[in-house]
Amino acid sequence: MNDELFLNERVEVVAVFSEGLNPCKPVKFRRASGREVDITEIGLCHPTTAGRRMVHMFDVTDGGADYRLEFDSERLTWLLTLEADRV
Amino acid sequence: MREDYNPTRPLVMHIDLNSCFATVEQQARPMLRDRPVAILNRRTEHTMIITCSYEAKAMGVRLGMSFKEAKRLCPQLVGLESDPPKYRYVYHKLMEIMRDYSPSFTMKSIDEGVIDFAQSSAAIRDRDMVEVAQEIKHRLRTEIGCAMRCNIGIAPNRFLAKTAAGLNKPDGLNVIDHTNLREVLGRLKLQDLTGIASRNEHRLTQVGIMTPLQFLDADAYSLRTVVFKSICGDQWHQRLRGWEVDDVVYDLKTCGRQYVLESRQLTRAQVSQRLHHLVESVGSKLRSQQKCARGVGIYVRLYGDAEGSASNGRWGRKGNYWHEKYLAPLPFYSDAAIWAIARRLFAHVPPGGIREIGVHCYHLTDDMGNQLSLFGNELVREQQVTTALDEINQRYGNRTIHSADTLGTGVYVKQKIPFGSTRYL
Repeated sequence: MNDELFLNERVEVVAVFSEGLNPCKPVKFRRASGREVDITEIGLCHPTTAGRRMVHMFDVTDGGADYRLEFDSERLTWLLTLEADRV
Repeated sequence: MREDYNPTRPLVMHIDLNSCFATVEQQARPMLRDRPVAILNRRTEHTMIITCSYEAKAMGVRLGMSFKEAKRLCPQLVGLESDPPKYRYVYHKLMEIMRDYSPSFTMKSIDEGVIDFAQSSAAIRDRDMVEVAQEIKHRLRTEIGCAMRCNIGIAPNRFLAKTAAGLNKPDGLNVIDHTNLREVLGRLKLQDLTGIASRNEHRLTQVGIMTPLQFLDADAYSLRTVVFKSICGDQWHQRLRGWEVDDVVYDLKTCGRQYVLESRQLTRAQVSQRLHHLVESVGSKLRSQQKCARGVGIYVRLYGDAEGSASNGRWGRKGNYWHEKYLAPLPFYSDAAIWAIARRLFAHVPPGGIREIGVHCYHLTDDMGNQLSLFGNELVREQQVTTALDEINQRYGNRTIHSADTLGTGVYVKQKIPFGSTRYL
């Protein structure tokens, strides 16, 4: 299987809200350990629901590994839920 | 019956996302691009590969192989568990793009759709179809992601458009019309045609039709009376000539779900719990389509060959497949009603290790009807409870409330993407 690490870690995120098809773009995030990750590409961003709560999934990379960030639009929280594909 | 090839301008476009699930994963996770990726339904090595990337295909990995077998062919293969919400999102984006071009479009499955430009506005219909196809490819890349690729086929009918979409994978764009029909069919084998698998191929080769061109040249009478022995022969005759016979919407006839058990060591009680979980899932699917059922059927597949002549059920051709069904006098739609029947049927399952289980509802109707029942109050109460439970599950998430019997089965019996039908997406 793949080297996927499933997490449930609250992270601090810097995001830009601009125009365009995907107006919300996370730029970087700081993990609980204090390590900062600069996002170089947003692979896919898609909404999903947890009951009637809307959660936006952001699959991103820093060029060294892939990460999944989840933005809960009701609670306004960011979670890091996956780290994978480290080269 | 038209004998000529359809000479009209090709206005049917078939769009097929290439290795859809694997491509979506490579789009979402940039570190996986240009690497062999296989999508699995479970995170075990004995599970079957449901789709794989073109890089994996180049190494000999094929759909249906076990992950363990594929890993021997391609040691660097990355196995990922399927992620339905991602694929559903891409499906809806593709649908949005298609809707921009014509009010008449149909999603044939989660990764392919058909646009009928004959129903479009003149401004769109009069455009060059190849240019429109290139625009759709471009929009897929800009609106979903740069790794997204699709094959597009353009033809006068749905069948030829699908055939055209199967040529030059990946990222192909092909047109079939009356001018190149013979040339394209001349390059294909019988099983390359959608709808011709081993049985139909056998029917055709029995009468000396060995190639698609010979199939095209066969007359309608022979196809109807000798080869297919039904109206299907006439339909194939027209379909191959580019005339539309497939613009049909079929009613929902059955609604079901199956599950391959996660372990060989499960007791009958544990298998029964998983069947109950499937029943709850089927009940929810049934009600999402505003349908009621009158019949319930279950099947089990046992390990090896088993003898079951003493059982009430029926055995399939392979000997290890057992099924049984029951038709009730009145329609029902609650999980409790479906489970009451399924549990009774399950009690008849012959002895032996069970590998796979399935349950389906049939004789579907649109509503419960207005016929008064001796048990009227009870039925009304059951409907109200079921509606309330569905509302809670919709509000707070799937399986917020479920029967105590299925507590803990959700870890194993997960919701997966339906390949065939798009009704539940």
